[in-house]
Amino acid sequence: MLGRGVKRKWSCLEEAEVVSEARQLVLGLCLEKLQRYQAGVELSLRRSVLLINTLRQIQEEMRSDGVGSCDVHPDSCLLRDDFREDVTVTCPGCSEGESPPELPSQEANGSDQQKPPAAVSDAVNAMGYLGDLALDDIFEDIDTSMYETSDLPSAWASGSLPQSHSTAGSLQSCLMDLNELDHIMEILVVETHLVGPGLQNGFSL
Amino acid sequence: NAGAGRGPGGGSSDVQWCFSQVKGAIDDDVAEADIISTVEFNHTGELLATGDKGGRVVIFQQEPESKNQPQCRGEYNVYSTFQSHEPEFDYLKSLEIEEKINKIRWLPQKNAAQFLLSTNDKTIKLWKISERDKRPEGYNLKEEDGRYRDPNTVTTLRVPIFRPMDLMVEASPRRVFANAHTYHINSIAVNSDYETYLSADDLRINLWHLEITDRSFNIVDIKPANMEELTEVITAAEFHPNQCNTFVYSSSKGTIRMCDMRASALCDKHAKMFEEPEDPNNRSFFSEIISSISDVKFSHSGRYMMTRDYLSVKIWDLNMETRPVETYQVHEYLRSKLCSLYENDCIFDKFECCWNGNDSVVMTGSYNNFFRMFDRGYRQDVTLEASRENSKPRSVLKPRKVSTGGKRKKDEISVDSLDFNKKILHTAWHPLDNIIAVATTNNLYIFQEKLN
Repeated sequence: MLGRGVKRKWSCLEEAEVVSEARQLVLGLCLEKLQRYQAGVELSLRRSVLLINTLRQIQEEMRSDGVGSCDVHPDSCLLRDDFREDVTVTCPGCSEGESPPELPSQEANGSDQQKPPAAVSDAVNAMGYLGDLALDDIFEDIDTSMYETSDLPSAWASGSLPQSHSTAGSLQSCLMDLNELDHIMEILVVETHLVGPGLQNGFSL
Repeated sequence: NAGAGRGPGGGSSDVQWCFSQVKGAIDDDVAEADIISTVEFNHTGELLATGDKGGRVVIFQQEPESKNQPQCRGEYNVYSTFQSHEPEFDYLKSLEIEEKINKIRWLPQKNAAQFLLSTNDKTIKLWKISERDKRPEGYNLKEEDGRYRDPNTVTTLRVPIFRPMDLMVEASPRRVFANAHTYHINSIAVNSDYETYLSADDLRINLWHLEITDRSFNIVDIKPANMEELTEVITAAEFHPNQCNTFVYSSSKGTIRMCDMRASALCDKHAKMFEEPEDPNNRSFFSEIISSISDVKFSHSGRYMMTRDYLSVKIWDLNMETRPVETYQVHEYLRSKLCSLYENDCIFDKFECCWNGNDSVVMTGSYNNFFRMFDRGYRQDVTLEASRENSKPRSVLKPRKVSTGGKRKKDEISVDSLDFNKKILHTAWHPLDNIIAVATTNNLYIFQEKLN
């Protein structure tokens, strides 16, 4: 079944389950590949971009099909509990008739942001072009509190991120949101602290 | 096919391929440094260069045809070996810069010496390969072994003369083009003006003058202001063979953009964009990945260009952007295996492709050490294998077949038996004759047309 075009009509529950399973499998593989990286070896940008595009495509399909699977991937669940205790995120399938709650405002997010668990940082770091450096080690002593302000979420809200944050209930979007926040933080840290006279050529931003 | 013309580079309908030579270690235990990463004939076909993961370049030279064996074209023997690139360390990113040679491009010969460009991920080098077969002898102040003579013993004066010596081939780096690429260089291409060349990385293309190393001109930049918005990278780039103002670059989304350097300094606006609409019947999670173009090559004539994506080879007429004029399936039987190939990362393999001398046949590699040739005129294709089992001198290669249905015929191999670790990514075709160089993981096979 994998690899063929997917029909949009849900003619039977079985087919929907197979499709959902296929999606979960590929999704899992995507995340696994993005998280897998070797210290000291630079990731292929092409590979990272293709993986992330596949990930986004699956998210998009899941969203447009109205899928919010109750078969929660355990890791995502964990992450969700850590960071969204104040939000009840329900699957559209579980709470029909109810409009899904909006994600909490980005300002609240920004200031409440705790250090993300290793899995998320790893995924972020593995997304080569967004996490080039072993930043945790190098910039431990740098005060990044100045970046956890409303300026951050306004950049976020300006639409520079993929559509994921508008789909409440999608656990994958939760994961992506945290990733995006990490990305922005790391980019800001990198941009501010690394651009110097000798580095303009290599880091022309 | 009686009456079918068989000139150089003739159709595969009547060409039989014979094993000629194999270079490289025999044992199955492959040293990582020996993995071949690029193969390229020079403009006359007399020289054949390979680059490997260990940063070395090996150049083979074709022996002149011997009158004793008119059936064989000359054999290729080692001409020069040198270390082109060394591993480096990027202290800023805490990352190693691989010494692997990504591409070699020959310059046309202008004098006695040969020149080639070789590149790793970050640095391009211009190498001069020159021969020395004479040395001066008869100095007045030095002995033959180099020791200086006592001036008091010099009573006569003589003129040193050149005497023949054993041929020595020296490679020396003449130019180093560094610090111009933030991302990994995937292509270099020499312009038909033979004065400039381009280098392309994932997001940018730079134009260089061969004489000038301290600056390059950025001609394409697809890096978005916000890296979050990055969805496409450059995968290959090439100059048009005749029009020195025209070049193309391919992308990970299966598009090819053709640019004219006369239009503007920064060629971000393409003059033409070649893209085939997606077939909705074949849509899958992996559609984009398999549409990513891994190689683009202009035909020698300059009228067509060929692209290689994961499953097919496409020929484009430069005057038609909407779809290719020819599409050849390399290994369509893999379409139902895409998930496994995604799992084991094979779906990211980058296969190259090449034209024969008169643009009538194209060739590309596949798995299980198979490689494929497509005859454009006769509409025929053949699958051949590069293996030690078929390496008796001048033995004719037997066409191979992969069985896709339930019943496997004798001599066919089933899809599930294919060895996906044996991939032929790099192939090259002699510019004038039917001689091909096919690289398996660490061996270089040379096949020749059977001549009667």
